[in-house]
Amino acid sequence: MSIIYVLIPIAIIFVIIAIAVFFWAVKSDQFSDLDKQAHSILFDDTEIKNKTNKKKSENNDDTSSL
Amino acid sequence: MTNPKEHSSSQPECFHCLESIPLGFIQTVEYNNHLQPVCCIGCQAVAESIISSGMTDYYKFRTTAAGKVQELIPEQLLMFKSYDDADIQEDFIHQSGELSEVLLSIEGISCAACAWLIEKQLLTLGHITRIDVNTSTHRAMILWDKSNLKLSTIIEALVRIGYKAYPFQPDIEEAQKQQVAKSYIRRLGVAGIMTMQVMMFAFALYFDMFSDMEDDFEQYFRWISFVLSSPVILYSALPFLTSAIRALKVKQLNMDLPVSLAIFGAYIASTWATVFNTGEVYFESICMFTFLLLLGKYLEFRARLKASEFTSNLQKLLPLTARIVEGFQEQIIAAKKLKLNDIILVKPGEIIPADGLVMEGKTTIDESMMTGEHEAVAKVVNDQVYAGTTNHDGVVKISINQLGTHTLINQIVTLQNKALASRPKLAEITDKVAQWFVATLLVVASITAIYWYGIDPEQAFWITISVLVATCPCALSLAIPTALTCSVANLTKKGVLIKKAHVLETLTKIDSIAFDKTGTLTEGCFTIKKSHYLNDNYDGQTILALASGLEFHSQHPIAKAFNFDTSSIGLFDDISVETGFGIKAIYKGQTIAIGKNGWFETLKLPVQVVLYINEKAIAAFELEDKIRDRADKLITYLKNKQFNTHLLTGDPSQAGIALAKKLSFDDVKIGCSPEQKQKHVANIIKQNHIIAMVGDGVNDSPVFNTAHLSIAMESGADISKNTADIVLLNSDLSSIEHLIEISHKTRRIIKQNLALSLIYNSAILPLAAMGMVQPWMAVIGMSASSIIVITNSLRLLKPF
Repeated sequence: MSIIYVLIPIAIIFVIIAIAVFFWAVKSDQFSDLDKQAHSILFDDTEIKNKTNKKKSENNDDTSSL
Repeated sequence: MTNPKEHSSSQPECFHCLESIPLGFIQTVEYNNHLQPVCCIGCQAVAESIISSGMTDYYKFRTTAAGKVQELIPEQLLMFKSYDDADIQEDFIHQSGELSEVLLSIEGISCAACAWLIEKQLLTLGHITRIDVNTSTHRAMILWDKSNLKLSTIIEALVRIGYKAYPFQPDIEEAQKQQVAKSYIRRLGVAGIMTMQVMMFAFALYFDMFSDMEDDFEQYFRWISFVLSSPVILYSALPFLTSAIRALKVKQLNMDLPVSLAIFGAYIASTWATVFNTGEVYFESICMFTFLLLLGKYLEFRARLKASEFTSNLQKLLPLTARIVEGFQEQIIAAKKLKLNDIILVKPGEIIPADGLVMEGKTTIDESMMTGEHEAVAKVVNDQVYAGTTNHDGVVKISINQLGTHTLINQIVTLQNKALASRPKLAEITDKVAQWFVATLLVVASITAIYWYGIDPEQAFWITISVLVATCPCALSLAIPTALTCSVANLTKKGVLIKKAHVLETLTKIDSIAFDKTGTLTEGCFTIKKSHYLNDNYDGQTILALASGLEFHSQHPIAKAFNFDTSSIGLFDDISVETGFGIKAIYKGQTIAIGKNGWFETLKLPVQVVLYINEKAIAAFELEDKIRDRADKLITYLKNKQFNTHLLTGDPSQAGIALAKKLSFDDVKIGCSPEQKQKHVANIIKQNHIIAMVGDGVNDSPVFNTAHLSIAMESGADISKNTADIVLLNSDLSSIEHLIEISHKTRRIIKQNLALSLIYNSAILPLAAMGMVQPWMAVIGMSASSIIVITNSLRLLKPF
């Protein structure tokens, strides 16, 4: 059981790290708007790339047809 | 979450703004290979630019409709350019190293999809390091490279996707509130995370009571609990101590005093017990207590913060730029660079930047933001015009005679700030209860200490501490914040914003209410009271359509009364505005004009507007400012509740007296200046009445700070909304009835809460004083009483 003399202080260090991360998050305004963050998972970042690729290929087609 | 697309009815709706599509408009946009109808060219342009840049996700995930898009006129684009001027920029741009930081207030943000759309759109511009859109404050913080990307380009990019943006500078008060909010979250986070750990070890110690633990472990767990709870007490609970000390310094006892006594008393005793290995530790109880209390206070604070954020987002009263005329050249400069006797040019629709005399031209000016009266005032050469008022139809040159703090608008603001300093304050119920509570507690604790010191000096300290812990005012201190949070949430749902903490309590004591007339009791816009049709060749429908079609091109407030269906008529040619008379145009070869009585043919009727065809009167209209629907009901309700009702209006005409008679007001004062309004209210206060003021204009804002309580209409001037304690978002007078009802209900619940928690505390106090309370009994009692109080408060969330 004496292992807890080591494990508990290590756990406390983790807690301190968690609090440090939390303070950083508060400082960088991550708690100022909770609505937006909740929805952000819905949006894809990839769609723009697909579109531009498509456009590029269209452009290529255009030039080839010229 | 409701999808706006589900609201569709049989009538086709605009794909972008979901409004109905005017007959005959058949433009479309392509979305997912389908053609979708739109309602106007503005919406079409925005929808196309959103779809073509690949951001169709916006339409997929948005939860509310977008606002209807208004097309920009070249004048507005010119305004954006002026934001690039260094003189103007220094007011709102902060330099951080190479990068510039600006806060934009953005109109039209309605849901999270908007935030995503804006962030995506702006990031495609490049040179933007960071952008953070906040959907609750409707603001965006942008960090970007000023030398490569102009601010006007950013604002134009926002306009292309349908959002109007303007630079914004939060005032000091709001910046402080944001700081307080952040520090609440930090303290709450520390208390939450640490309390979880402390509880874990506390459970181990609880089990020690049933099965023996090795003494080494017990002592070790106590030390660990001490280490973990120290940040909670010394950091998270510190505001309670500082507030208690601050109150003591001015010789007052507040609720934070018993709270700090319990928290810090128990903390010191537990630390003592840990170090010397005697007695009991209460670390988990005080951590939990701190966390719950902070949570209650934070939720209440956040509800009010949201309300004040809503109103502080308002545009500045005066324009940032002015068009100065030097010789024959006109030039746009920063408004603050104007000097006395400068000549400025003001075009239709613009806001006048400084007080001055008209030098050239004539116009009508909307002074409603000063006087509350929506009828425009005609101005000719040598007439005085005021900063902040809106120019309607003529182009005028103005010679400036008052600047900065000397302008009328700034004098009103000064008046308002002065009144704030001397505002009457009512004692709050919390503090009264706290004083009794603290006094009793201290007496009982000292009697206990002295008594036990005589019998058993060993035990005296521990029994005194257990008195402090057992009487810890956990439920008592939650009694008020929880009730207030629930009421504020309920009111917000009904469209009533509460901005100050004292509101609900002050409301229950009010016995008089003063109202402004125009815009508050009346709708502040004209409607047709009676139409006279003077020529049988034209039927009513055609006449209204012609009048509406013409007035559509007018800026005059009266024009808003004519918004009838114009689909039956064609287009007008040669539309021209004749300042001081009205508006005319050519329609199917005939001259048709609408304007004031006596423009061409004078009618002997009490009418304000006449429609002429070929200079012959065809129809005449009597207009009136309609009384709001619920005004009558509200005044009757107030009468039944024995309130004194006062009417204070800036309008010098007899209309105020007539209205007061119709609604049976107790008292009426007409033609009041802002100072006179203040004086009347101050007189009423002198007669020991507690008064609330309901108003909407700039002229009401000084009196708002004189009255005990102030209520502003959403439709009112920005400055009055910013000053008021309460804002009625739907401008619905019946909300006031609801407000009074709920404030009384809140008071009832608070009293019940206080009674419940005091019963618990007074029941356990004698037991603790006799040394009969085990720590676990105190903990269970405390939690149970808190839960009962919170549940009781939750009843206020119920709509009724």
